[in-house]
Amino acid sequence: MLLEVNDVSLSLRRDGKYSKILDHVSFQVNKGETVGIVGESGCGKSMTALSLMRLLPDKAKLEGSVELQGEKITNYSKRKLEKVRGNQMSMIFQNPLTSLNPLQTVGTQIEESLILHTNMSKKERRVRVLKLLNDVGLPRVEELIDEYPHQLSGGMRQRIMIAIAMACEPQLLICDEPTTALDVTVQAQILELMNEIKEQTQMGIIMITHDMGVVAEVCDRVIVMYAGKVVEEAPVVELFQNPKHPYTRGLLNSIPKLGQRKQKLGSIPGTVPVPENMPVGCRFADRCSHVMDICKSTVPQVTEIKENHQTACWLYDEEGGNKDATTGSNQSQTTLHY
Amino acid sequence: MPLLEVTNLKQHFTTKKGFLSEKTIIKAVDGVSISIEEGKTLGIVGESGCGKSSLGRSVLQLVEPTEGSVKFKGEEVIGMNAAQMKELRKEMQIVFQDPYASLNPRNTVRQILEAPLIIHNVGSRAERKEIVESLMDKIGLRKEQLRNYPHEFSGGQRQRIGIARALTLNPKLIIADEPVSALDVSVQSQVLNLMLDLQQEMDLSYMFISHDLSVVQHISDRVAVMYLGKVVEIADVEQLYNHPMHPYTQALLSALPIPDPTKKRDRIILQGDLPSPANPPSGCPFHTRCPIATKECAEIVPNLEEKSTNHLAACIHV
Repeated sequence: MLLEVNDVSLSLRRDGKYSKILDHVSFQVNKGETVGIVGESGCGKSMTALSLMRLLPDKAKLEGSVELQGEKITNYSKRKLEKVRGNQMSMIFQNPLTSLNPLQTVGTQIEESLILHTNMSKKERRVRVLKLLNDVGLPRVEELIDEYPHQLSGGMRQRIMIAIAMACEPQLLICDEPTTALDVTVQAQILELMNEIKEQTQMGIIMITHDMGVVAEVCDRVIVMYAGKVVEEAPVVELFQNPKHPYTRGLLNSIPKLGQRKQKLGSIPGTVPVPENMPVGCRFADRCSHVMDICKSTVPQVTEIKENHQTACWLYDEEGGNKDATTGSNQSQTTLHY
Repeated sequence: MPLLEVTNLKQHFTTKKGFLSEKTIIKAVDGVSISIEEGKTLGIVGESGCGKSSLGRSVLQLVEPTEGSVKFKGEEVIGMNAAQMKELRKEMQIVFQDPYASLNPRNTVRQILEAPLIIHNVGSRAERKEIVESLMDKIGLRKEQLRNYPHEFSGGQRQRIGIARALTLNPKLIIADEPVSALDVSVQSQVLNLMLDLQQEMDLSYMFISHDLSVVQHISDRVAVMYLGKVVEIADVEQLYNHPMHPYTQALLSALPIPDPTKKRDRIILQGDLPSPANPPSGCPFHTRCPIATKECAEIVPNLEEKSTNHLAACIHV
């Protein structure tokens, strides 16, 4: 086990009041495994990543435990945590232009974590930076090392971000929408590069994305989040072929698929509730087409559907009356019957 | 006769970097010919910087095209005077990408939807009220919501208001510039469903501009693929997606992540990024990234030719 996240809850202060952004989030990441986190915007995907890195605003309340290679990093002091960040785990952000420093050369920015975490000499560092630039598939590295971010294209900048993240060979890489800002041909290049790096280094990857296509391409296991909670978790093939939670089904049904022209797409009515105004029972109840009385009053517990496949939904809970749940995933949401 | 016929349209912009530096010409749209039949949808796909938005804007004369012809219902649009153009705008409307930026935050939805009617002097006050209320019904919002402001709506609802605004004057053609790109997939599908319903109901034609190949495939009848200001391939949607001819279209389709983890495909990974439109490569604009490029490609500018029935591609190797 590389990463173990147990009951992590996060509250942020807004207008003088604390509101809960994440609610008892638990999952694991193994070595050499890519775990996808999906959900609509506002579901807490990015906040989960930032909580792992503890890159949180002041006065954030973080509860629960995060263990990286058996070490409970949630107890670490700020200073001790700095030794972990960028070293054992690092992060890639969505927009490479805003996350790179426009006033520093590419080389300086990649070197930074080497200065912080290693005892390399200046010469050794330059060699290492050049190798990193090479590894992420950038051309004419000798000149590139002294260039500034604005001189590079979007795809090249994202490669620089990956080089920075990879500088100290972390065991865990957290990617927050790494290809969302890129064109599809460049996205293909970056995803290919990430797959190569994973195979070489056997690191664990957390891939946050809203693109189900990207999930299908790169992830081994998927966590579906809704309104700050994990609602379903399954291996990737299982999730696409046998989705259980009505939210997961809704997400999958709303993607336009090649070869299904002008057919009605499934959709999920309404929007994600805001943290200040969370429903009492199941948070998806208002938007769910299978809502029952119990959903509105009581929070559903995580139920095991089969090995490695869990969901938090009353439809599958013994107490809620386990209805026949063998419906195919391809039907549109409105025609699903249990 | 097609509803819209665009022939050899060019949209060039000149930019000057510094005070003394030379002018550079950016050929955002460089000789594009397309047509849209009544009640049909033409999808325009391409990566950022390929000129797809500029094409939409110059068709609508929101920027004045450099050269070429745009015919709407057989009538030449370029060179029309202001009064003629105003009449024409009733029939050609646009929906923008960002529903947050394209609705005035200080106006209520009623004001937003009524504005086109007032500008074009349509109906009495009571009639306008009726039109606006029936539009709300069409896009699935309640008429009580007419007094709300844009910020009180979600992204998907806002985009539906943007669509309603485009529909107020009963247009024939709607140019939709990335209308669902800013939306979550669950909301995106609502907007796509709405657009398909409205098309049937009102016999609309769409020019649907998007970088998302699966969305374009879903809504279009015919698709044009653009690269650096030029159309490199155009065909009916099934033909284009099942039998792409141009190496760029092939690469684009193979790069699209498919939401099915059991399907593994061979990918054509293109090298590098889109070259700058200010400094496009010689010959075929795609030759710098093309996996099958030869020496001739750097010299010959390929013409968009009919390679099979109704299927045009601009490549000397197909």
